[in-house]
Amino acid sequence: MKRFWTYVFIALILAGLVSIGLFAGRFVVYLSMRVLILSIFALGYNLLLGRTGLLSFGHAAFYAGGAYGLGLISIHVTTNPLLGIIVGVGLACIMALVIGFFCVRHTEIYFAMLTLAFGMMVFSLIWNLREVTGGDDGLVGIVRAPISLGFASIPITKTSHYYFFVLFCFILTVALIYLIRRSPFGLVLSGIRENDRRIEFAGLSVRNYRLAAFVISGTFAGLAGALGALLESNANPFSAHWSHSAEPILVSLIGGIQTFTGPVVGSVVFILLREIIERFTQNWMLWFGLILLIIIMGLRGGVVGGVAQLFRRKRSHVAKSGGNR
Amino acid sequence: MNAPLLEIKRLSKAFGRVIAASNIDLTIDPGVLTSIIGPNGAGKSTLINMLSGSLPVDSGRILFQGADITHLPIHHRVRMGLCRSFQVVNIFPDLTVFDNIQIPVLAVHKRARRLFRPVAREAGVREEVSQVLDRVGLAAEAQTVASALSHGDQRLLEVGIALAVRPRLLFLDEPTAGMNPVERVRVLENIRGLSEEGKTTFVIVEHDMDIVFSLSDRVVVLHHGVIIGDGTTEDIQKSARVREVYLGEEVMT
Repeated sequence: MKRFWTYVFIALILAGLVSIGLFAGRFVVYLSMRVLILSIFALGYNLLLGRTGLLSFGHAAFYAGGAYGLGLISIHVTTNPLLGIIVGVGLACIMALVIGFFCVRHTEIYFAMLTLAFGMMVFSLIWNLREVTGGDDGLVGIVRAPISLGFASIPITKTSHYYFFVLFCFILTVALIYLIRRSPFGLVLSGIRENDRRIEFAGLSVRNYRLAAFVISGTFAGLAGALGALLESNANPFSAHWSHSAEPILVSLIGGIQTFTGPVVGSVVFILLREIIERFTQNWMLWFGLILLIIIMGLRGGVVGGVAQLFRRKRSHVAKSGGNR
Repeated sequence: MNAPLLEIKRLSKAFGRVIAASNIDLTIDPGVLTSIIGPNGAGKSTLINMLSGSLPVDSGRILFQGADITHLPIHHRVRMGLCRSFQVVNIFPDLTVFDNIQIPVLAVHKRARRLFRPVAREAGVREEVSQVLDRVGLAAEAQTVASALSHGDQRLLEVGIALAVRPRLLFLDEPTAGMNPVERVRVLENIRGLSEEGKTTFVIVEHDMDIVFSLSDRVVVLHHGVIIGDGTTEDIQKSARVREVYLGEEVMT
């Protein structure tokens, strides 16, 4: 019975997302895409934060890796976005592997500071390599050419067409992360969060599993970056800035880092709030900070965790476990 | 066939000026339930930490089934069949009892790297987890979150996690610390039963003399990082040197 309602819920959400693409105005579609892209970024990120407990400040670098990988291919090689995305995601993956190799040797604040340091290095590289990256201008004029698969070609030039491509990538990400969380690998990651010493005594190398989680989250950041560059038609150097790394952290915290849907809900809240507050005031950060304060202090476990707790209290029976909400 | 399971050769460790292990030579044979005893600060924990890989050695060699493991990382030693349990409860508190056991079993079955297959579909793993839970007597609590268990049951789970990696040699660090008498008897029965099965050789570090003398085939006494007694329980009870530094205190009080 419970499963039935879950399916109904998922179907409703999907119907809503599809109808946005079909009927909504350009601005709503654009905003929805930003939510979806941020969700991809945060879903991947939360595999690292929520599951292994590692706080990274360097994921903007992988996002930028995806964006610049796509941009360079699009400008110099082919405008076919599929190759650009593959190269962008691949570049982010390799960057995560190299940077992660050094970072996962440490934990907690040392890990966080190392990721921050690497993130800053990537940012200044992008900033200073003018010939390759365009420096402070970024890479401009990335076109959304049709995705050609050889036998068919899908146009994504129009915003509403591109929306469905982003939606497809989003659903793919949700499915993959869901599978990973339920897999043996996902269980081991939970074990690392709970007690990393004990994982070693279960015969598993904590370092390798941390690195794997880091690379997976970096790869999804690259996908988000590539999609973002196609959306904005440029690759922006500030997407590599460490302050951009805070976005998936905030979003995961708002939604709830111990929940599966938390990063998605957090992305919706983040983009909408920002959009609404910016209408009224220039210093949106002040108001946003206040709202964040209320959410974090008032709702333990984020919006999703908090709501789930309310429901549980109402039904006053303990669900058998909260592994995958 | 009775090659030693573990050979320790001239193992030494010092923390500053405190000597925790001084040229320890020790051999552990398969199937012999050994206890390591000694007063506080004798170097028992240091020895276990060095053997299981938590602590680097200063000098000396550790051979496990003939292979040099002196500098191997913890998880390699565990894969080879050398594991330990802990004095303080060291479990995965927010996971269910079943998942607590499942993690090491997945590691043994080399399934822990599977990314996209639901863990629920690993039938062989699930079966073995149930077996381990039966052995430690926690089958009824399989779906309980570990932190909700009683202290004694958490200790049992602790031993269960260590057993789940199918160790050839298992160090139990004060396995009954903080247990009530009923739980204590259950654990001891368990250890004796498992030891008689012969798959795992147990080495127990214990304070409680009753446990040591009722359970062990062999007792090793440590004092200031040196082995001062090694033999059957009767040998140790008779040994004048052991009485002097260790049992003496107990006899007098």
